[in-house]
Amino acid sequence: MGSVADRLERLTNLVAVLLDTRRALTVEEIVERVPGYPEDRDSYRRQFERDKATLREIGVPISLEALYAFDQESGYRIHRSDYELPALDLAEDERVALHLAVTAVSLEGGEGRSALLKLGGLVGDPAAPLAALPSVPALPALFDAYRRRARASFPFRGEERRLDLYGILFRNGHWYAVGHDPDRDATRAFRADRIDGPVVLGPAGTFERPDGFDPAAAVRDDPWQFGDEQPVTAEVLVHPPQAGWVAADLGEEAVAERRDDGSVVLRMAVTNRDAFRAFVLGLLDHAEVLGPPMLRDEMVAFLKQLAARGVPGGDR
Amino acid sequence: MSPRPDAAARLRRLLTVIPWIVDHQGSALSEIAARFGMSVPELERDLELVPFCGLPPYSPDRLIDCEIVDGRVFLRFAEYFARPLRLTPSEGFALLAAGRGLLAVPGADPGGSLARALDKLAGVLGGADGMAVEWAPARFLEPLRQAAAAAERVEIDYYAFGRDALTTRRIDPHAVFAAAGQWYVDAWCHRAGDERLFRVDRVRDVRPTGEHFEAARPATAAAPTSLFHPGADDLRVTLCLAPEAGWVVETYPTESVEVEPDGRLRVVLVASERPWLERLLLRLGPAGEVVAPDEARAAGPSAAKRLLARYVGVSPPCP
Repeated sequence: MGSVADRLERLTNLVAVLLDTRRALTVEEIVERVPGYPEDRDSYRRQFERDKATLREIGVPISLEALYAFDQESGYRIHRSDYELPALDLAEDERVALHLAVTAVSLEGGEGRSALLKLGGLVGDPAAPLAALPSVPALPALFDAYRRRARASFPFRGEERRLDLYGILFRNGHWYAVGHDPDRDATRAFRADRIDGPVVLGPAGTFERPDGFDPAAAVRDDPWQFGDEQPVTAEVLVHPPQAGWVAADLGEEAVAERRDDGSVVLRMAVTNRDAFRAFVLGLLDHAEVLGPPMLRDEMVAFLKQLAARGVPGGDR
Repeated sequence: MSPRPDAAARLRRLLTVIPWIVDHQGSALSEIAARFGMSVPELERDLELVPFCGLPPYSPDRLIDCEIVDGRVFLRFAEYFARPLRLTPSEGFALLAAGRGLLAVPGADPGGSLARALDKLAGVLGGADGMAVEWAPARFLEPLRQAAAAAERVEIDYYAFGRDALTTRRIDPHAVFAAAGQWYVDAWCHRAGDERLFRVDRVRDVRPTGEHFEAARPATAAAPTSLFHPGADDLRVTLCLAPEAGWVVETYPTESVEVEPDGRLRVVLVASERPWLERLLLRLGPAGEVVAPDEARAAGPSAAKRLLARYVGVSPPCP
């Protein structure tokens, strides 16, 4: 008793019995059918609890349900429809492609390999590592909420938030959960690594994803547009050689003027002035806010305040 | 030691292997083992157990029948294990992230076998189009990948962000990879005489040299897990940060973080290049200041004065 082989045998039989049964089985019925449990009631119950936890840990969906209609007593079974991976009809070249993907793009601590095994094993050669994606504890649950169309609730910066997930986005090195926030009745994106507690899922299938929803298009890319402030169109002068690279990053539509000395004037729609200021200051001596006067004044005031620090008697 | 994790891992494997064998009767032990990433003895050890598994009353017709003939495996009476377990959320997420991630690499075929596979998995994964993976745009990714693949020495113009300076150097690119959303090229830098990691988006030009280098490492070298390796001599600064400047700790590698009684943070980080430190301090403004060492205390205010001169020179459009 107690060896890994014994336990593996008992667990395998347990899965078989729970899959095969037509109705839920009480713990007593299970212990009677599956060899290897101790005689004593407390001991076999404890043992069964441990086995159940192990099965759930590897993803075996055990349901607890009433034995008969209106009956108080409940038992366990595994529904085949919950347990079984649907038939997928993957071609061999598609399995090869998935194997390449999982080896080329590795998710930190990820279980892509064990997914491949369930889909029919590792086919073809692994790829050289090409990219790494960070992992965040909230991601599997967020993904499950997305997949099952179940409303997700989670603590975010000290506040309990709810979200109907339409998609998941990886951008600028961070994962975002994107969807409809029922409390604010608006599209919202949450950085997954800032979710600081468990993600709780409501019932499945409670919302519809809009057709063709693209999480990348739903989240504004430029940080200075990531806010709800009164929109302002800023003009920023950028000197060469930075001018060319910044213009290439922001796109030609942002270029208001190209000057003979190689500098450019950018026109930027700003709804987050802190992020806008950070962008301009990040260019150090190579950029300057030209207008509107209000934004230029704000920049001057900000720099003056900072410049006065460390000066004896200066503004601290 | 508790035997539990091992039993769980082996059960997981068994519940995956049995359905495949049921579906592919007579497959060779070696093929099954390779396919499921295990050794033949491991597989044999798991299969030895199978004939003891089944349903009550565990009579021969109710137990799984496992026969190995000339190294080929046959399984009967295992109908309840006809299909593998569905994917867990972690597995589904990892698979979709890898698939979407690879399709987002420039040059990937949007209609190829990977895209087709993800389409077929849509029912299992909740629709592949709901996940988007974006790698930072990097204009010179393709030429650098080609140079790495062909072991070609190239000359690059590189913007050294920390020093705010454009440099030109010859490099032997070993590998190109993405981490934390950015593309990097891991190369031998002839100017530095050392291995260097370059951010591809800061490469401003790539020119062939016509020379080749000896590929020192196999192509499967793993991407470094940490991108930042400060030297012992690099300047450490101690910053005092207001609570709202906590993003600094989330964004940059720190050597120590202490929370003061008033909620302010005392953070030590490596700031070997002055422009890098200036950017950080300018961005922080009143929310942060250098407290040590003494020679770095004025970095923020003096950078602010320098930038301010720009605004004073031009006649300001304000009254």
